[in-house]
Amino acid sequence: MSLQPKLLLIFLFTAGAIAITAWFIYSTSKLSSQEHGGMENPLRKRFTAFIILFALSAVFLSITIPKSPYFRFSGENPSHVVFIAAKQYNFIMSNQAIDPKKPGGGEDIVIPADELVEFRVTSLDVNHGFGIYDSRGEIVAQTQAMPGYVNRLRWRFITPGHYNIFCLEYCGNAHSFMRGSLTVTEAAAEK
Amino acid sequence: MINLSLKRVTSVWIIAILVVFVITAIFGITMRFNQGGDIELSPVTFFSLMTAHGVTMVGIWSVAGMMAVNYLMARYVKVSTAVNVFALVLTVIGLVMLWTSTFVGYFHAGWTFLYPLPFFVAWESWATPLFLYSIAIFGIGWTVWTVAMLMQIYKKYSLAQSFAWQHFKRGYLVETPPFILITTVSLIGILICLITAVILLVLLFAEYYSNGTFTNDALLIKNLTYFFGHTIINEALYLGVATLYELFPEVSGRPKFKTTWYVALAWNCTLVFVLTAFFHHLYMDFVQPVGLQLVGQFASYFASLPSAAVTVFSIVILVYKNPIKWSLTNTLFFIGVIGWIIGGFGAVIDATISNNFVLHNTLWVPAHFHTYNAMGNVLFSLAFFYWVANEFAGTKVVPRSEKLRIGLLLIGGFGFVLMFYIAGAYSIPRRYSVYPDELALGRNLASYGGWFATIYVIAILLFLGEIVNKCLKVFSPRSSAAA
Amino acid sequence: MSKSIFSKIICCCLILSVVQFAQAQKGKFDFSEEKNVYNQIADVPVLTKDGTQKLSVLYSRSPLIVALIFTRCTGICSPLLLNLSEQISHLHTDPKENFKVLVISFDPRDQFEDMARMAKQYARENDPNWIFAVTPQISELTSSLAFNPVWDEDRQQLDHEALLSGINTDGYVTKNLIGLRDQQAIYSLIKSINNEFILSYPLPGNNNFLSCFSYDPSTGKKSWSWGMFLLVLPAIIAAGIVTILVNQKKTLHHN
Repeated sequence: MSLQPKLLLIFLFTAGAIAITAWFIYSTSKLSSQEHGGMENPLRKRFTAFIILFALSAVFLSITIPKSPYFRFSGENPSHVVFIAAKQYNFIMSNQAIDPKKPGGGEDIVIPADELVEFRVTSLDVNHGFGIYDSRGEIVAQTQAMPGYVNRLRWRFITPGHYNIFCLEYCGNAHSFMRGSLTVTEAAAEK
Repeated sequence: MINLSLKRVTSVWIIAILVVFVITAIFGITMRFNQGGDIELSPVTFFSLMTAHGVTMVGIWSVAGMMAVNYLMARYVKVSTAVNVFALVLTVIGLVMLWTSTFVGYFHAGWTFLYPLPFFVAWESWATPLFLYSIAIFGIGWTVWTVAMLMQIYKKYSLAQSFAWQHFKRGYLVETPPFILITTVSLIGILICLITAVILLVLLFAEYYSNGTFTNDALLIKNLTYFFGHTIINEALYLGVATLYELFPEVSGRPKFKTTWYVALAWNCTLVFVLTAFFHHLYMDFVQPVGLQLVGQFASYFASLPSAAVTVFSIVILVYKNPIKWSLTNTLFFIGVIGWIIGGFGAVIDATISNNFVLHNTLWVPAHFHTYNAMGNVLFSLAFFYWVANEFAGTKVVPRSEKLRIGLLLIGGFGFVLMFYIAGAYSIPRRYSVYPDELALGRNLASYGGWFATIYVIAILLFLGEIVNKCLKVFSPRSSAAA
Repeated sequence: MSKSIFSKIICCCLILSVVQFAQAQKGKFDFSEEKNVYNQIADVPVLTKDGTQKLSVLYSRSPLIVALIFTRCTGICSPLLLNLSEQISHLHTDPKENFKVLVISFDPRDQFEDMARMAKQYARENDPNWIFAVTPQISELTSSLAFNPVWDEDRQQLDHEALLSGINTDGYVTKNLIGLRDQQAIYSLIKSINNEFILSYPLPGNNNFLSCFSYDPSTGKKSWSWGMFLLVLPAIIAAGIVTILVNQKKTLHHN
């Protein structure tokens, strides 16, 4: 299972738990008739709950931060570089560096699976988003395309197939139609 | 002291906010139905609606918080009705300018008007400056209002007292009410992000009027934009929380909440963290230094944690096994707290960099902020509106169609945001007027979302009728005579 | 309203005061520098003062900045080396970031003695971090670096770009620099051959003096620039306003 459905399940489970707890607390109040019932030792419980939440946050932080995309593949040598110049409303993609003054039309991008590829993403006009979607329509990786800067996104494709690129930053009225694609072929035979 | 003029301006605010809210919510529903394929709008119309929906919603729920806090603050300090009216007038003028730019001039650069999009004119050329001036008008009105309220707080409290620092020591003389503490923290946050907006607008106008001799740095502007945009909506929520602290125990017939050292600590932490949490909007801008990205994740976790944990636990202690007087007011507050923490949890998931890599700018983002706005902040404000309308009318709160209203709110609200969450998890991008065939799932979800949102708006309309009626009572001659 | 005018004035002053920085920030980035990145350099034999060895022996010991020159050059070669030498001598690099400069000729007429003389000229003949070399397989080397000198019959010179190629210890080109570049560019080259992955780099702008960050070549870190100050400014102004409000005359209240 990829990351997104897991996150949805975690979210729905937690939201459900919150809702049930809230309903339970509400009904204790509705059912209670005696004055000065309430919670015993509320201050200590609040303190405990606070410490637990704090510890959970610290655990989540220390687990998730090393998984940040910035640190992935940083010590490796990519075998392919793909240059991307986004503009209203298409992605110019090329295996060669793109001259921002004469961007040209780009070319079809074919990448072998299991090889490290580096996308060098920039924008020629407004902010765009470079979102790579697999054949099931799920985002596998993304970075922003910002005018004036080149962002380097490194990725290793595992599954061969057709990948769509959709724009993931609102860039004007044809934003929904801004797209591109690339092909990932079977892994090259052992070198 | 709460006088008739304060009641009247508050009434006008409430009626205006509710009416504008319903209209703007209909903009949103229209967008969902267009995404669902139920209706067909041109992309320009869609994105004009989107721009108007975004700015207006952020604007009205910020002023709703300000206005509620302004009203309740009169219990503790003197407040200026003149400034209140001034802010109201400027807000209305700003809104007219805003809607003119989006619906007459077709300005559609989104509510974040992310540089340099406003300058890639695909609309009437006058619409860009008109839009920016509308933001400036809002900014002037709200800055003056914020400073005026802070001025009144500091006429009574010292700096240390306003932040409840004396509660860190034993044996203090003056107690800072939680309401004052939270209001101070939120107003200072709002002041900071309004100043940020001023800087942002100055830079944009400098480019606009320089005829190409001055250009901005896209990264800087993006930082400034989200510093302003993220912070203002976050602080607006905290203003709602301030009204909750003030009113929830009161309408429940329980003793007032007290400021303790950890309440003070939590809100002091919030002031600091909430100002740096906005970095999470730039996670996918790899040009931002990694250090700031990590600050963004850290601050996002700890901006919400102390304040939410303290507030939620205070509510739980008050409600658990206590026979409190339930009315629509505290029920709305109670549901609002649930919406706030569920939305907050969705936010924390997205504010985690490794998750954001696949969730950034998908519908997960509107999912979480609609949860803690539509099912959190709006309900806090609605609770206040409902309570104050009954105050104005001098009526006891009579439960009328109570279950129906709450039921519609819950089904409509949570159903509406659930469609966003599912779509987000299925990588459906946000801000698409229509979805490509590969992402056709988004269409059905959008359509269902539109219907759920319609149910939510019906619930709001049921409240609106009663609240508006009762608010109008303060304009009756009898009301003047009584004053 | 006065507060908002106040902050506007501050901003205007700020913008005016930093206009002079604009000139200094002109970028010289050439998009063609991105040609051939991550290609492997040809593993040709090279003759240095330590005798003939494979290029891979050199780069596997420490990453290299490869400068392609020829001794009879009357054009860019000598400014290129002078500039590189000058910039490097002022760098305070991290001891972890080691590198050597390989000055190698692409002119078949050059013998090792010519290169040794050149080393002397630049007072680098005893510098262990500078290697002067010739290779018998010039065309393999130049084509692996996408370096295409053209023979100019009239001037009896080789026309070529001033290219510095960064080679990491695996022999991959991680970055190229074209032209005479500043310390900041040289430093980013050194970082890249030490396999430090920098997530983003700027393209030249018209005036980017209000950008958020700039490289500090002496530390190699991104440092706060004027733009970043603008992110802190709102908090400072707000603190100022609150200070004024706190110090106003207190009035007694009756609730």
